[in-house]
Amino acid sequence: MNGFAGFVLRRIAGAVITLFVLSVIIYVVFYVTPGNVAQITCGPRCSPVQVHQVAQQLQLDDPLYVRYWHFLQGLFAGQDFSTGTSVEHCPAPCLGQSYQTGRQVTDIILTKLPVSFSLVLGAMVIWLVLGVGTGVLSAWRRGRLSERVLTAITLAGVATPVFVIGLVLMIVVCGELQLLPFPQYVNFTDDPEQWAWSLLLPWLSLALIEAANFARLTRASMLETLAEDHIRTFRAYGVGERAVIARHALRGATASVIALNAVTFGSAVGGAVLTETLFGLPGIGQELVHAVKVVDLPVVVGMVLVIGFFVVLANAVADVLYAVADRRVVLA
Amino acid sequence: MRQPSVIARRVAAASVSLVMAAGAAACGPKDNDAKGSGGDSTPRKGGTLTVLNSEPQADFDPARLYTSGGGNVPSLVFRTLTTRNRENGAAGSEVVPDLATDTGRPNKDATVWTYTLKKGLEFEDGTPITSADVKYGIERSFAPELSGGAPYLRDWLVGAAGYQGPYKDEKGLSSIETPDARTIVFHLNKPEGEFPYLATQTQFTPVPKSKDTGTKYESHPVSSGPYKVVRNENDGEHLVLERNPNWSAATDTERKAYPETIDVRSGLDSSVINQRLSASQGADAAAVTTDTNLGPAELARVGGDKALAARVGTGHFGYTNYIAFNPTVKPFDDPRVRQAIAYAIDRSSVVNAAGGSALAEPATTFLPNQKSFGYTPYDPFPAGKAGDPAKARELLKQAGHGNGLTITLTHSNDKNFETSPEIATALQDALKKAGITVRLQGLEDNDYRDKTHSVKTEPGFFLAHWGADWPSGGPFLAPIFDGRQIVKDGANFNTGLLNDKSVNDEIDAINKLTDLDAAAKRWGALDKKIGDKALVVPLFHPVYKRLYGKDVKNIVISDWTGVLDISQVAVK
Amino acid sequence: MSEALAAVETAGTDISVPAASGAHRFWRRLRTQRAALVAAAVVALLVLAALAAPLLTALEGQDPTTYHPTLIDSARGGVPIGSFGGASADHWLGVEPQTGRDMFARLVYGARVSLGVSLGATLVQVVLGVAMGVAAGLGNRWIDLILSRITDIFISMPLMIMALALLAIVPDSFPRPVLVALIISLVSGWSTTAKMVRAQTLALRNLDYVSASRLSGWSTSRTAVRELLPGLAAPVITYAALLIPQNISAEAALSFLGVGVKPPTPSWGQMLTSADVWYQAAPQYLLLPALALFVTVFAMTVLGDGVRVALDPRAASRLRIGTGRKRESRAEKAAQAPNAAAAKAAQVPDAAVVKKEGRA
Repeated sequence: MNGFAGFVLRRIAGAVITLFVLSVIIYVVFYVTPGNVAQITCGPRCSPVQVHQVAQQLQLDDPLYVRYWHFLQGLFAGQDFSTGTSVEHCPAPCLGQSYQTGRQVTDIILTKLPVSFSLVLGAMVIWLVLGVGTGVLSAWRRGRLSERVLTAITLAGVATPVFVIGLVLMIVVCGELQLLPFPQYVNFTDDPEQWAWSLLLPWLSLALIEAANFARLTRASMLETLAEDHIRTFRAYGVGERAVIARHALRGATASVIALNAVTFGSAVGGAVLTETLFGLPGIGQELVHAVKVVDLPVVVGMVLVIGFFVVLANAVADVLYAVADRRVVLA
Repeated sequence: MRQPSVIARRVAAASVSLVMAAGAAACGPKDNDAKGSGGDSTPRKGGTLTVLNSEPQADFDPARLYTSGGGNVPSLVFRTLTTRNRENGAAGSEVVPDLATDTGRPNKDATVWTYTLKKGLEFEDGTPITSADVKYGIERSFAPELSGGAPYLRDWLVGAAGYQGPYKDEKGLSSIETPDARTIVFHLNKPEGEFPYLATQTQFTPVPKSKDTGTKYESHPVSSGPYKVVRNENDGEHLVLERNPNWSAATDTERKAYPETIDVRSGLDSSVINQRLSASQGADAAAVTTDTNLGPAELARVGGDKALAARVGTGHFGYTNYIAFNPTVKPFDDPRVRQAIAYAIDRSSVVNAAGGSALAEPATTFLPNQKSFGYTPYDPFPAGKAGDPAKARELLKQAGHGNGLTITLTHSNDKNFETSPEIATALQDALKKAGITVRLQGLEDNDYRDKTHSVKTEPGFFLAHWGADWPSGGPFLAPIFDGRQIVKDGANFNTGLLNDKSVNDEIDAINKLTDLDAAAKRWGALDKKIGDKALVVPLFHPVYKRLYGKDVKNIVISDWTGVLDISQVAVK
Repeated sequence: MSEALAAVETAGTDISVPAASGAHRFWRRLRTQRAALVAAAVVALLVLAALAAPLLTALEGQDPTTYHPTLIDSARGGVPIGSFGGASADHWLGVEPQTGRDMFARLVYGARVSLGVSLGATLVQVVLGVAMGVAAGLGNRWIDLILSRITDIFISMPLMIMALALLAIVPDSFPRPVLVALIISLVSGWSTTAKMVRAQTLALRNLDYVSASRLSGWSTSRTAVRELLPGLAAPVITYAALLIPQNISAEAALSFLGVGVKPPTPSWGQMLTSADVWYQAAPQYLLLPALALFVTVFAMTVLGDGVRVALDPRAASRLRIGTGRKRESRAEKAAQAPNAAAAKAAQVPDAAVVKKEGRA
C-alpha cells in the first residue's frame, strides 16, 4: 500500500504544480491581451476620468505581480470586497470578484458546475453505450451491415461539428417532427423529469462526438484479446463465440475504456463550449468564453483552474482505475 | 450609442429557418388568431408572457443600464421622469411624461429644467416615491462600482465631471435640487433642449437610499413600475417578474401591463430563439424576444409561409452603418481618394451581406431615415445601386493614383454583420472594379474597439456604426462631428477628427432650441453639410424583423426602438 | 494525460521489430487491404484537388471571391435563385447565399486551408511530441519529470480559451492559416503524442538491441536517431493518421468561435459555421462542406487503420487480413516472442485517443 500512497502523493504534488503554473500563464497571457478592461467594464462611452475611477476601483493600475499576489492572498486567506454600501467577505479559497458583474467567482462557478455536470454525465452514459456497443459489434460482426451503419454514424459524429449536429437535431426533432419541446434548461433540483427531457438532445449531440473514440478503442482492444492464445484455447474447447466475447474479450477492453472515459469526462466538464452555447446551457464552458471576450480576468483564471483541476483529477483517476482493472500495469 | 444588447450578436446569421409544412399543419386552427394579432382583437389581462433572449440581463441595476428610452424589459420595473411614447411608427418617437407631470419645464436658455412628480406614486413596498429618490438614483450612477450608463449626465450637469457617487461623496450633487418631495430641478452647464429625451434613461429611476445595496442591488431592484422582480437566477439569465400591487395604472398611461407574469429566459442561441418562436409550441406560443432579429436564412422561408409572415414585427431603430476615414492617414488625407471610394462602393452587395433588402436599407445620409432625426435626403457622391467605378477611377487619377491604389480596410472579427468580415469582403469585391486593391485587417473585437476609438491608433479606413441614444439628431451627430468632443486620451468617436467652427457653432445653436421639431430640421441640414466632406460614407440602415408567438396580441412597434414594446403586449 | 491513457494509446504495434526493414513490405501489406486502398485513393484525390484548386476553378471559369449579386434573391435574405442552390453549367455546385460566390470554387479552395491546416498541425504535433517524448524517455529522472510536467500543463489548458487569447495577441500580419495550425497543434495533440512516445521509448530502451547500442557507447542522441526512431515510426504514423481528422474538426470549431482563417479565404469550417442556419432554406450550402468533411475524415480514418495494419504484422494476423507469406509471419512471431513480455508492461491494445475537447 506504500506504493499506492506514494503514487497518490506524487500525483497531488504534480497537480498542484500544474495548476499553479497554469494560473501564472493565464495571468500573463491576459495581461498582454488587448482590451482596456476598465473601459469595457465602464462602457464604450465612458470618459477618461471615469475610466480612471473604475480602474482604481478594480485595482487595475497595480503591476502584474501585485495583482497576482492579491489573487494568491484571496486563495489562501480570503478577501474583502466593497459593494459600495457595505463590505462583503469572500472566504478562502476566494477566486476574486468578476470585473464585469461584481459577483464572486466561486459563486459563479458553483452555479455553473451543476449544469456542466448534468450535461457531461448524461452524455457519458450515451457515449459509453453507443461507443462500446459499436466497438463490440464491429469486433464481433465485422463487415455486417449493422456494424457498418453504426461505424458510419460514429464517424459522422467525429466529422461533423457539434453546432451542425445539434442544430439539425433540434430543427428536425423539435421543430419539424415536434417529438420534443425545444430544450430549455431546468435545474435538477427544481424538476428532475423536465431536467432530463431538456438535456436529451444536448446529451445526444455531445455523445455523438465522443462515441467514435470509444468504438475504436473497444474494437481494437477486443481484437487484441481475441488474438491471444488463451482465447484460441477456449474456442478450441468449444466455448461459444458469444461467451468468448462477453466474458473475455469485453473484459479485456474494460480497463482502457475506463481510462478513456475518465479523461473524456474530465475535459468535457469545461470543454463542451459549443454544445453549451448552442443549447443555451449556462455551464462552465459558455461562461468562460464570455469571460474571455470581456477580458474578465478573475473569472477566466478561476474557471481555467477548475477545468484544469478536473482534467488533472480525471487523469489520476484513470490511472488508478486502470491499475485496479488491469494488474499488468505497474503504477509509475 | 447603444451597444449590442439591442442587436443580437448573430443578428443576421441568427437563425434557422422556419418550419414550413409540419409547423403549419400542427398549428393550423390557431393561425387564424395570429392573423388578428396585429392589434384589432381585444387584449385582456392575465397569463404569462415568455421572453426568449440571447443576452442575459446581467446589469439589472438602473444605474448600470445603457438604454435608449429606458429599454424594454427594464422599463417594466423602472419608471423614469419621462418616457417614450408607446405608439406605432413615428408617433412612438415622441417623448412623454412618466413619473413627472410633464416632459420638463426649461428656463429661458434651457440650462435649468424643473420636473414635478405625479401624486400617488409608490414603490413596490408601498412607500411613496419622492424627488429625493430620483436624485439619489442619478447620483449613485456616478459611482465607479455602478458604471455603464450613458455619458450625458456627467457632461451636462454642473460639477458632475469628477463626481464619484454617494458612496464616496455623501454631499451629493448640488446641481440637482429637491425643494420639496415632488419637485426636482436640474442645473446644466450649457443649454440642452433635448433634456426631456435624456430623462427617459434608467438613471432617472427613483432608488430608495435605505434599500440601496450597492453592487448587489441588481438582484432585487426596488420596483416603481408595473412589475417587480421575484426571481433573478444566474445573474440575469432567468428573471421572473410579477405584478407590482403598488403600481397604479392611474399614474401610468404608457404601460399596459396585461400579463400577470413575465418569464425572461436568456443565454439562448439566437438561431434557437427564432426556431422556437416559429414553432410556437407550448409556452412559446406566448413568447416574444427583445433582442433577437430574424436572420436572412429565416427570411428566405418566411416569404413562403403566410401564417409565419403574419407573426413578424418590422421596425426601424435609428442606426447607421458606415465607412469611417481618418484624414490624418495617407492617402485618406486627400478628399478625392475618399470620394473615389464613396463612388466605388456597391451598396447592394453590402446590403446583401447584411441580410438582403428586407433587413437593410441602403444609406446615403448619416442620419437615420426617420422624421424625428430631421432626415433630409441627400447623396453627395451618387454611386447608383452598384457603384460607379468609372467615376472613382477618374477621381483617383486626379489624385495621382492612376495606376491603382492599395489600401487597408480594418474591420472586426465579431460576427455582427455590421463591422464584420462579411461586410468588409463585400466592399473589397466592389473596390476591385475601381482598381483599388483592398487588404483586409480583421481585429479581435476588443482590439478593434481600442484601436478605432483611440486617436493615437485609429486606422485610416475602417467599418463603424452608430446608434441613437434617443431619436434625434443631437446624440447622433454631436459625438461624431463636434470638434470639442475629440477625446485625446480615451475613447474617441469623432473618427474624422473634424473640428470645424461653423459645425460646432451650429450644434450649440440647435441645442438651445426647445422646439424639437424645429431642431430636427436643422440637424437634417447640418447632416447634409457634413456629408459633403466625405469623412464618413454611410452604407446602410438596418431593418428589424422579429417573430413573436402565435398567442401574442397588441403589437406596438415604435420608431424609437424599432422593436415590439413589451409593456403593450397581451397574451390573452 | 494519464500514464494509463498513454499506455492505451500505445498502439498494439510490434515495437520489437524495427520497421526499417521496409517500405517494400509495408506497401505489400497495405496493398492487400481493399478498403485502405480506396481510402488512400480518396485522400490522394482530395489532396490533388486542393493542390489543383486554381486549375479546377479555371476549368469551371470561376473564382472563390467574386460576388454574383444577380444570382441571389436579395429580398428573401439572399437565398440563391434556382434549384439546388443555383447550380448551373457556370456554377457546378451552385452559389453561396448572400454573396453569390461560387460554391465549387470555395469548396476546393477551402480544401486547401482545411487539409493544409490539419496536415501542418499534425506535423508540428508529431515533431514536437516525438522530441519531447524521446527526451523524457531517454533522459534522466529530472528531465523526465520536468518534461512530463510541462506536458501536463498543456493538457489541462482549454484549447478554445488559449485560441481566443492568442489570436488577440498575435499581430494581424502573421499568416493566419499558419497561426491556426500552430494553435491547434500547440494546445492539443502534441502532448498526447509525447506521452505515447515516452511510454514507447521506455519500453524500447530496455529491449536488447537498444540496450546494446547504449552499452556500446553510442551517444544518447545517436541511439535515439539510429535505433529508437525506426521503432517509433509505426505507432507515430498510426497516431498521426488519427490526429489529422481531429485537427480538421478543430479548425471548424475555431471558425465557429470566430477565430479561424481570415476572409475572404474559404475553409470548410468557416463554410459550415455560416451555413448551419441555412439548413432549411439552402440545404446544399450546409451539406456540401459537411459531406466534404465527412468523406475526408472517413477516408483518413480507414487509411489510418490500413497503415497501422501494414506496419504491424501482429495486428494484420489478428485482423485476419492476408499477410503475404505465412512463413514470414511465423518467423516474426518467433522473433518477437522473447521481447513481447518486456513491451507488454507499457502496452495495451491500440486505440485512437486524442484529447479533443476543442470540438465539443
